[in-house]
Amino acid sequence: MSRTLLRSLLELRAAAPARPSALRPALTTTATTRSLHQTPSQIDPLPQTQSSAALPPSPPKPSPTSIPRCGGAPRTTSPATPETLQLLPLLALQPGNKYLQLYIQGQSYLVTPGDQIRLPFKMPGVVPGDVLRLNRAVAIGSRDFTLKGSPYVDETLFECRAVVEGTEAEPMRLKIKKKQRCRRTKTVRSKHKYTVLRVSEVKILAPGQEGQQ
Amino acid sequence: MAVKALQAVSQGRNGVGAFILQCKRIDLHYCDWAGSSKGMNGFIKSLFPKFAAAHPQIEFTVSPRPAKHPVAIGHYINGRSKPICVRNMEPYEILKKLELLRDASGEKLKKVTKPVRSVNESVRGIWSPYHGNGMPL
Repeated sequence: MSRTLLRSLLELRAAAPARPSALRPALTTTATTRSLHQTPSQIDPLPQTQSSAALPPSPPKPSPTSIPRCGGAPRTTSPATPETLQLLPLLALQPGNKYLQLYIQGQSYLVTPGDQIRLPFKMPGVVPGDVLRLNRAVAIGSRDFTLKGSPYVDETLFECRAVVEGTEAEPMRLKIKKKQRCRRTKTVRSKHKYTVLRVSEVKILAPGQEGQQ
Repeated sequence: MAVKALQAVSQGRNGVGAFILQCKRIDLHYCDWAGSSKGMNGFIKSLFPKFAAAHPQIEFTVSPRPAKHPVAIGHYINGRSKPICVRNMEPYEILKKLELLRDASGEKLKKVTKPVRSVNESVRGIWSPYHGNGMPL
């Protein structure tokens, strides 16, 4: 228990503004001793959808700046424009939960605080109780406002932490392969493991005021 | 009109406040005579003390079970238990099984199609034909 507390403290201390040169796929952890398997994920740039007339206009999408990456499609994180920073407190101050559309290893998940995410893979190097800070979001929304990144939202505008709850398994699956007029059957057994995360907090860091949950 | 509170049962969400490991107890059974327990005996002597010290929140019991295969049983907070027979396994394999027991919740294995489970109501609200701008034709 003390080790997990220490690691979350280190992680909180290490929370620094986003550095464009150090771009990483979905997760940021403090684990310097453990190495996470980080496959660069291919994400096509999202279509620029127009907000519908029924909703108040979303904050305008700022122009993307490309960050050099080795391999894979160029991925951009849009820095926050003054218009975004002006409207962000309105989003943060709205009552109710805020949702976050996160990307973890190329898969998107729409989460609110307290949700449980079952990843389609087993994450190596994590132990139940570890705190992960998820920094790759595509949209943040409240009841009336949405902040869309192009394609990602600026990391410095929000904080999202998830606790590793454990590793679950699926029931054993049997695939029986048999051809006609041949008596031999081949049985393939699969039982995959999945890491389960619990989103403990979703915070909007609006400038000039306390982060709203 | 008086304001009435909505009656709701509290839903536990492990990790939102404090995180509590679901595995509360692991029983190890070994046998001094059976050959299948050789790995388990070696594990208890070599790797087990460090594992047990690293998990002060789990209660470990080690007891002989003569003339039976060695077994590791995990007990969970929801009352269920998971026995894993570790016959003819090497100490490091048994360590992996103990890690499996530690990482598991006690729930029965289920096929899950939707990745996100939530008890929160929707952020945007449920659509209604009577509210908003209506349907322009």
